[in-house]
This record gives sequence, C-alpha cells and structure tokens, in this order.
Amino acid sequence: MFHPLIPGAALPDDWFAGTIPRNIIAGENSVIDSSFCFKHYYAQGAVGLRVGRNVTIWRASLAADEGALIEIGDDTYVANASLVCTERISIGARVMIAGGVTIADSDFHPIAPAARLADTVALSPVGDRKRRPPVEARPVVIEDDVWIGFNATILKGVRIGAGAVIAPGALVLRDVAAGTEVAGNPAQPIRGGAA
Amino acid sequence: MTVLAHDWYRGGIPANVVLGRDVYVDTAYSFAPFFSEEEQALVMGEASGAYDRTAFVVGARGRVTVGAYTVLNATTLVCNDRISIGAHCLLAWGSVVTDTWPDAGASPEARRRALAAAAADPHRRLPPVSPPRPVTLEDNVWIGFDAVILPGVTIGRGAVIGCKTIVRENVPPYAVVAGDPARILRTLDPDDTEEARLRALRDHGHDHAR
Repeated sequence: MFHPLIPGAALPDDWFAGTIPRNIIAGENSVIDSSFCFKHYYAQGAVGLRVGRNVTIWRASLAADEGALIEIGDDTYVANASLVCTERISIGARVMIAGGVTIADSDFHPIAPAARLADTVALSPVGDRKRRPPVEARPVVIEDDVWIGFNATILKGVRIGAGAVIAPGALVLRDVAAGTEVAGNPAQPIRGGAA
Repeated sequence: MTVLAHDWYRGGIPANVVLGRDVYVDTAYSFAPFFSEEEQALVMGEASGAYDRTAFVVGARGRVTVGAYTVLNATTLVCNDRISIGAHCLLAWGSVVTDTWPDAGASPEARRRALAAAAADPHRRLPPVSPPRPVTLEDNVWIGFDAVILPGVTIGRGAVIGCKTIVRENVPPYAVVAGDPARILRTLDPDDTEEARLRALRDHGHDHAR
C-alpha cells in the first residue's frame, strides 16, 4: 500500500508509529510505503530530502544525519535499499535501485584507530552520540538512467555516469563512466566504455 | 534466565551468559540459537552491546567473549569452540564471525551426517562438519557490513575489514583489508594508545578502567 509523500503527514494504517518529516519536498505522484523509511532520518536543514515526480520508495532506509541532503530525481524507483547520508547523496532521474543496495557518502566511523576507539565509547550505552568524532563525508552522485543491481554497494565520493549499470553485489569505490557496466569487489568495468 | 523488560521476544537470556555493567541487549531473540552448556559461555564486557538482529549461534561447547564497549550491530557469531572479541570493536550489520565451517576437504558424506543429525534434533542444531578452529579479534577491530571472518583467523589490533570482505587468513595489526579476494590496502598509524582510550572514556564521563 503506497501513500503520497506529504511533509509532516501521518500515513493511514502505517504499521510504524512515525510520520513523514516536515523538511522534505516531493513532487506529484511520488509515494512511500511506510514512515519506517525515515526511522534513521535526522536531517535538520530546511530541506533534508528532495524528491521529484513519480518516484517510488518502499521498504527503504533514508538515513540522514543532521546536515544531510538526499536528492532523488523524477521516475526513480528505490526498493529495499539503504541510503546513508551524512552530507549529500544526489540520485538522478529514471534510476532503478534494487533490493539490498547500500549507498553511503561516509564510512560511518573514523578510520584512524584512536578516533574509532572514541567512537565506540560515544556509541555505547553510556556514551553521548551527539559527541561522536567527525567522519569524513564525500558526496555521491548517481546520474540519470543508472541501474543498480541487488546488494550492490556505492561508497563515498563516487560519481556514476548516466546510463551505467552496476552489477548485483558490486562494491563501487571509484567513479563509473557513463554507459559502462561494472561488477565485482572492487567493481571493475565489464562492458562498454574505454576499458 | 533473564527476561528483558523492553523485549518483543518471549525468551530470555540464558543463565550462563554474563553481562557486565551497562551492557545493552536489544532482544533475547539473539539467544534463540544459543545452546552452550559451558559456564560463562558468553561474557560481554562493560558497556558493550548486542543490537538489532545480532545472533549468538553457539553450540554445547562454545565459549564467546566480547570486550568492553564493543558494538555488535546485527552481527552473527557462530561458535562451537571459542570466539574471542576484544574491547572497542565495531562489527557492522550482516557481518559473520564463525569458528565453524566445512574445510575444503570435507566430504559430502560428512555434510549429510551433519544434516541427518540436525533433522533428528528437536532444536535442529547443525553439528560442525569440520572441527571448529578458534577465532580472535583483538582490540579496536572494525568489521564492515556483510564481511565474513572464517575459522582459525586472528585479526590484529586496530585492523579494518572492508564491507563484504571474506577473511580466510590472519590479518596483521592496523591493516586495512578489503576486496574479493581480500588484500591489504594499507597500514594505519597505531594512535590508539592507552592514553587515547582513557581520554575517550573520560570525555564520556567514564574514567574507571575497563
């Protein structure tokens, strides 16, 4: 059962006791299945999520830190995927995102051992999550007409060119040229482009 | 058996599980596959946590230790002998640490025997096909999401295992390992000194030692 994405709305018969956040903008005929998609949405900016027209989002996680902005273009379809955004994730128009996909613009924790150790304390039952050490974020851009297969992972700083195909299970660390297909961990071109 | 006040699951935490001070467990469902008969079969250190769908798949002789401030976030631990996880470790969602997995030489007959034993057991416990081999994660190890740590492996202090990486061999301290097949990408500066640890604890109002 789908419901229009209306800022601040409580969805009828929602199994999750949440609401659609107020700081979103959604175009005509864009829908979502449950407020559960916003369980980890903490964006505080004037706009934390901007969605175009005819967008479908179901069983997804739109995890947004305080300063995050997630953009999703017209006609894009997001099924059972996790968008984990610290700063910015921009997804173009007519993008298909399959189940189990993770798109993240940070690594979630610091990589330096001492800062990482401090993060375990901040995240612990006795810590203060508001005082976590900073993590590096680099925006992710997914251009128009990209197809992202099941369980693929797109990591921070990656730009995926228009029309590219990301094979199921691929782990994408580097930019993907328009019109190419990549697969594997780390993902390598398997079709199209100069490679 | 301890029942958690906030739990949706009807079971409880077995009596041979020792939870340190300020440990958090989301749900006793994590213990549905826990069958250890050992004393202190699972010991969780101070302020560690088992979040979301973390699963302790522990056989009769399995013993697991989890160090202080370690985060098990929807992680599966499969133990029939010994899994030792240090303090300040991060284990992300979907990651698996197992001391039990069929060796390359395990025969189909051995697997059939294990499956037959499971079918005859009301708890459907799957006995090891190959002998378990202990796994050790030293302090401050980070296991990325969907990574798998296989039997016999020791991961050195401060190491980082990238998401979706399968680890079959020991990982040296402070190494960053990723890819399929797994390889060492670089080695981190070992700046997680005891002083840094005490500073982090003090910063969150916990200046007592682990």
